Amino acid sequence: MAAAPIGIIANPASGKDIRRLVAHASVFDNQEKRSIVRRAILGAVAAGADRFFFMPDPHLIVEQALEGLGVEAAFEPVDSPRTGSAIDTTRSAALMREAGCAPVITLGGDGTNRAAAKAWRDIPLVAISTGTNNVFPRMMEATIAGAAAGLVASGAIALDDVAQQAKTVHVRVEGGPEDLALIDAVLLDEPFVGAKAVWQPTRLRTLVLARAEPAAVGLSAIGGLLAPVSAREDAGLLVHAGVGGDELLAPIAPGLFEPVPIVSCRRLALGEAVEFEGPGVIALDGEREVTLHRGQRAQLSVLRDGPFVIDVARTLSLAACRGLFRLSPNGGTDAR
Amino acid sequence: MDISPESLLDMHERMVRIRTFEEEAGKLMEAGKVPGALHLYVGEEAVAAGIMVHLSNDDQITSTHRGHGHLVAKGGDLGRMFAELFGRATGYCKGKGGSMHISDLDLGMLGANGIVGAGPPIAIGAAFSNKYRGTTNVTCCFFGDGASNEGTFHEAANMAALYRLPVVFVCENNGYGEFTSQERHQAIHDVADRAPGYGMPGIVVDGMDAIAVYEAAGEAIARARRGEGPSLLECKTYRFLDHVGVRGMGVVYRTDDEVVEWRRRDPIVLLEERLAGAGLLPAEEAAAVRERVLGQVKAAIAYAESSPHPDPSALLQDVYTLATDAPR
Repeated sequence: MAAAPIGIIANPASGKDIRRLVAHASVFDNQEKRSIVRRAILGAVAAGADRFFFMPDPHLIVEQALEGLGVEAAFEPVDSPRTGSAIDTTRSAALMREAGCAPVITLGGDGTNRAAAKAWRDIPLVAISTGTNNVFPRMMEATIAGAAAGLVASGAIALDDVAQQAKTVHVRVEGGPEDLALIDAVLLDEPFVGAKAVWQPTRLRTLVLARAEPAAVGLSAIGGLLAPVSAREDAGLLVHAGVGGDELLAPIAPGLFEPVPIVSCRRLALGEAVEFEGPGVIALDGEREVTLHRGQRAQLSVLRDGPFVIDVARTLSLAACRGLFRLSPNGGTDAR
Repeated sequence: MDISPESLLDMHERMVRIRTFEEEAGKLMEAGKVPGALHLYVGEEAVAAGIMVHLSNDDQITSTHRGHGHLVAKGGDLGRMFAELFGRATGYCKGKGGSMHISDLDLGMLGANGIVGAGPPIAIGAAFSNKYRGTTNVTCCFFGDGASNEGTFHEAANMAALYRLPVVFVCENNGYGEFTSQERHQAIHDVADRAPGYGMPGIVVDGMDAIAVYEAAGEAIARARRGEGPSLLECKTYRFLDHVGVRGMGVVYRTDDEVVEWRRRDPIVLLEERLAGAGLLPAEEAAAVRERVLGQVKAAIAYAESSPHPDPSALLQDVYTLATDAPR
């Protein structure tokens, strides 16, 4: 069976926003992203992948990662313009779907994966974190992440055996296009989108969380420290914050534990409708995205219809159980 | 970061003042009325305005060869600026410096500079002074992607981080060092990536979005005032006009499509849409601001045109400072 191609989306803009000033977030320079791409490709090829489609970006991350790499595999950019914005990721994800990529490796944060899922809701993903405070992608060694992607692409491991479908928050703004978040959609008492990141707890009004993770950093942690909802649970969480609430100390950005005034908190059933009303700004996965004018409404609900996220550790465990990396007598690995 | 309606409208007016000044200056240059070259700031207004609304006259800036926008945003006298462009005795440099040497020490504007990368060492000198004297003043150092390759930038960044100087390095990355695109003059795309190598934070912000610049600059400047040291704020921006003048020198180095694409994100239009959406600046009021500013600019041009040329006897004045006049 021919291996499916692997998609590579490396977001050049992740890991560089204002949270390096207002919090203590790490800087991910693009040289490091190049190295990560290189390691992921080498891991994937070792596990049997031989074709890759990648997102072209103005920083040439993948092109430069390929220089002198010397692997026997085909690499092709998808036909997406290099605008240097999130549109590139969305457009590339759509093209990778057409090209039959399975899976797609992303380098970025929650926002990068969200941009990909906007075009391909149930995209099969190996999501490597190079963002700021991420819940969706994981910090992991790219060599191994690439190997997991290669095992799935080559058909040695079935996607269904190692991937779980993620939840999403559907956001429908009155008079606007439908949008989504992978982790959190939050109404803020802010007039403008501005520098995008969210780091001021007093601005939080209503949080709709697909996942409330106690061991995360960011808005999901607020719910996580109140009433955890894991990725596996078929539920979401609704939190109202604001003046007069009981204070909860939560890590809303890297290194930034802040008191957040909590008014109420309850679980949401999948599909249960929540409404936001303007004025305010809606942040999706931690970035201010949509301005709601006075009286303008938005409908939100949590559903399980998102990306299929590959569990890298589980994939490698299965590969070990099946002896897929044992070199066969005639050379090569069985994974190939 | 809180942003008051007053700050938003102030920022808008500074941007309109820069745009109008530059467009009129460009016309005058094309008409042959301005001796010397002008490097116009059109398209980059959100950066100067978003930074300068945080600064007082006690805070300093160092500027670049594309420096009109910085001085206009810092409150420069438009009449004296035009007079300098025209080479008149009432100009900022008594008509002997021209576009690339304008300074106004009363405003903390330590000078435009024709030498690419000359600003950073001056900026950290001022920042050292601010710290040494125990003030909370901050120096903002404007420079471009091209200047970030100069040794001066690297030496200044190193010293600023070493001594935790109250300076904000503001990289106006417009994608070109003169006529050379960024991918042909450096192997990185984000100049902010260089900051951690010196021991300071670096961030990237949309330089076409005045509110985004305002927020990021506010945090970087506040950090410097608190004594937490320097930072690098890279603003992704674009020059709508050519490297020199309006039509430029006929050098082919970028496509018309690229210019059209960036013009879709005109920082003034972007801000006006936001302000209109928030009910702060209806379209007719925005038009009134433009009209009022155009009147100020026209008056400044008239003042400059009616000003005398410097007397030939002034040629050698202000070239050297006499030792006896030097501050002790």
